[in-house]
Amino acid sequence: MDVFTELKKIIEELMDIKDRNITPETLLIQDLGAESIDLLELAVTINSRFKIAVRDDEIFLTRFRLYSAEAKQQGEDTMHYIAGKYPFLAKDRIAEIMAHVKEGPQLKIKDLISYVTYRSQWV
Amino acid sequence: MSDLSGREENRYGSLEKMSLHFSGNRALVLGGTCELALTLAQSMIESDLFPILTYRDDKGLKAIGEVLRPFQGRYATCFLNFGDRDSLESVFSQIGDDLNFLVDFAQGNYENLIAGADEDSVYRYFTENISSRAEILKKVGRAMLKKRKGRLVFISSAAAVRPNPGQGFYAAAKLASEALYRNMGLELGERGVTTVILRPGYINAGRGRIYLQKQNRKILDAVPIKRAITGEEIAQTVLFLLSEGAAGINAVEITMDGGHTSGK
Repeated sequence: MDVFTELKKIIEELMDIKDRNITPETLLIQDLGAESIDLLELAVTINSRFKIAVRDDEIFLTRFRLYSAEAKQQGEDTMHYIAGKYPFLAKDRIAEIMAHVKEGPQLKIKDLISYVTYRSQWV
Repeated sequence: MSDLSGREENRYGSLEKMSLHFSGNRALVLGGTCELALTLAQSMIESDLFPILTYRDDKGLKAIGEVLRPFQGRYATCFLNFGDRDSLESVFSQIGDDLNFLVDFAQGNYENLIAGADEDSVYRYFTENISSRAEILKKVGRAMLKKRKGRLVFISSAAAVRPNPGQGFYAAAKLASEALYRNMGLELGERGVTTVILRPGYINAGRGRIYLQKQNRKILDAVPIKRAITGEEIAQTVLFLLSEGAAGINAVEITMDGGHTSGK
């Protein structure tokens, strides 16, 4: 089973949702209404199913805005700074998040896929 | 002693032992070498629970082995030193994450007047007794979240809210730890992971017994039941708190001090 299909199954199970058109572009918080307890449970389950170490604030991009502010404060290139913090995110994805970050949490299923894929390489 | 029906009360003062039902059987017991933990471990085994007792040195491991000799194969031990983060990390590689219960007796002792305390000792004491506990709680909480079921009991102390001079650091660590357990029950309750805090008063076991002996037991005059709580009573209460019948008691403190702190 590929990473997306497995993640979709996990999310449907944990959040008890059916018949939702979940795609890699689905926003976890804004579209699915995931709360912090849902994310915590998701982290635990990803750790268990994919046998990878999961850092919650990394996989859920919790500090994205904070890192963005830090980069500006330190006079560093924001893209480069954030890429250093989230090495599993492609540069175009970071740019995409930066463009929409003011609209609310931008965490998408595809970010989880990137994280799981990236972490699986280090097992 | 007998009641009106003439039935004999047993040594716990109840008419007969309650029939307790447990969801699962694997129980991690932190601070597993203290007298109270060893008393509880025996009661757990008799109730078909499987205690996993933590120890931090060979002396502790030996104490467990001696007390639980008749119960070979019905318990396990696990090295854990709250002052050593590597040992915190290794707990789950030793015992796996199949865990239904946690009972936490772990508590370092540091008696000192606040204005007379050594700074390094204070930092170390709080790191070991609060930060390390938070780390363990995180791991246990995540393990229980996988099952959507788990019960945690923190053994605090009536001294957390009524300390003597010199017990400021002890009380601070206990209250901070209580807050961690309380919040865990608030945060994970909807996922079946619940917590309860037990605050025993004067206990006739372990450090409590030494204290009572030093005080010549006179302090018990201020306790309405005029005696200390026994280790057996603590064990039976903890067993009840772990049972399904007590599942509605969540994120709250229970004081078990014979009424001491309720009066003047």
